[in-house]
Amino acid sequence: MRETGPTRSQSDLAEMLELLLDKGVVINADIAVTVGETELLGVKLRAAIASFETAAKYGLEFPEGTDMKRVEDAAGVEELAEEETVPVESGGGSSEANDDGENDEEAEEASEADEDAEKAEAKHDGD
Amino acid sequence: MVEAFEEGRYLYCVVDADATSETGEPFSMAGIDDETVSVVAENGIGAVVQSCESPYDTDDLELVRDWLLTHQEVVDAAGETFGTPLPFRFDTILKGDDDRVRTWLTDQRETLETHLADFAGHWEYRVGVAWDGELVREELESSDDELADLRDRIDEASEGTAFLLEKQYDSRIRDLRQARKESLTSRLRENLEPLVREIDVLDSHQNVLGEGSSDEVVQVAFLAHEEREADIGTVLDDIAAEPGIEVRFTGPWPPYSFAPELDA
Repeated sequence: MRETGPTRSQSDLAEMLELLLDKGVVINADIAVTVGETELLGVKLRAAIASFETAAKYGLEFPEGTDMKRVEDAAGVEELAEEETVPVESGGGSSEANDDGENDEEAEEASEADEDAEKAEAKHDGD
Repeated sequence: MVEAFEEGRYLYCVVDADATSETGEPFSMAGIDDETVSVVAENGIGAVVQSCESPYDTDDLELVRDWLLTHQEVVDAAGETFGTPLPFRFDTILKGDDDRVRTWLTDQRETLETHLADFAGHWEYRVGVAWDGELVREELESSDDELADLRDRIDEASEGTAFLLEKQYDSRIRDLRQARKESLTSRLRENLEPLVREIDVLDSHQNVLGEGSSDEVVQVAFLAHEEREADIGTVLDDIAAEPGIEVRFTGPWPPYSFAPELDA
């Protein structure tokens, strides 16, 4: 796909939110507190980000020794509840989710997730 | 570890407060937990803040994600109004009230002015390059003599020998693919460097959910002036024109990855 300018879709945002945790200005002094660095909250935050359906596109980095099971559990129970709709790329498969009585927004996201899954299957070419 | 404080100011970003919105209205919006966000300004430097009594923490992931989105929305809105902001890390809080914020702005005036001037007009952009693994493999197989030779030997070998040769074959493919990835990375870096101020090649992470890794083989983040967007787009178009290559170009974002550390 050819692009001439940068985009800011919701799936791009997932990648962005991860930066809020370990990038950005910090104040190294007693006058301020930053808790984004504490591992417990960090794990929760990363799990929260991972729960973006589109996060499957992006690897999220966890610190050594993170309880991955906990993260997966935390991320697995999440439902995406965003007001913005996700722009679905052309070529997306049919969305069976429409038959499940879900609203259009969820169906649209589901179809993108399906599409991602298809892509992943089509390109399971390891490393 | 988290400490309690009587009164605090949650910091979203620092902006050039002399730049004002077109409407002339003071900057205000709903922030985390619907607290009112305002700009505390001193000497033309503004801190975009809201009041808070303790750091934001919860077990409710839905809520956490809302907070992150809100943080990003506020920083974005501030950027639209005042130009490139210096964005703070999530949950960074100054202990004290608005006067404390003003004192801090006065203390840090020189540093903040320098950084604001430095970042003016610049934003963070991110690029991911994905390739079609099958296509790359086919290309490598059709162009590499060593692979062709191995293939011939495998076809003629006994089962045991063939197995060992297959191992060699796979290893050769891996090396070639790595070399291809490195050359793509170098090309991206060399073509972008004249157009950007700073560039970081990101490590391709493992996927958190174990659903297969991202198919992006190269990811970079860079700080560039907004006027360079079109030129950067042209460079990326050239790379994307190759068969099997897809380029994802996102931005403009607040310059999180290139933000400075402040020692007070």
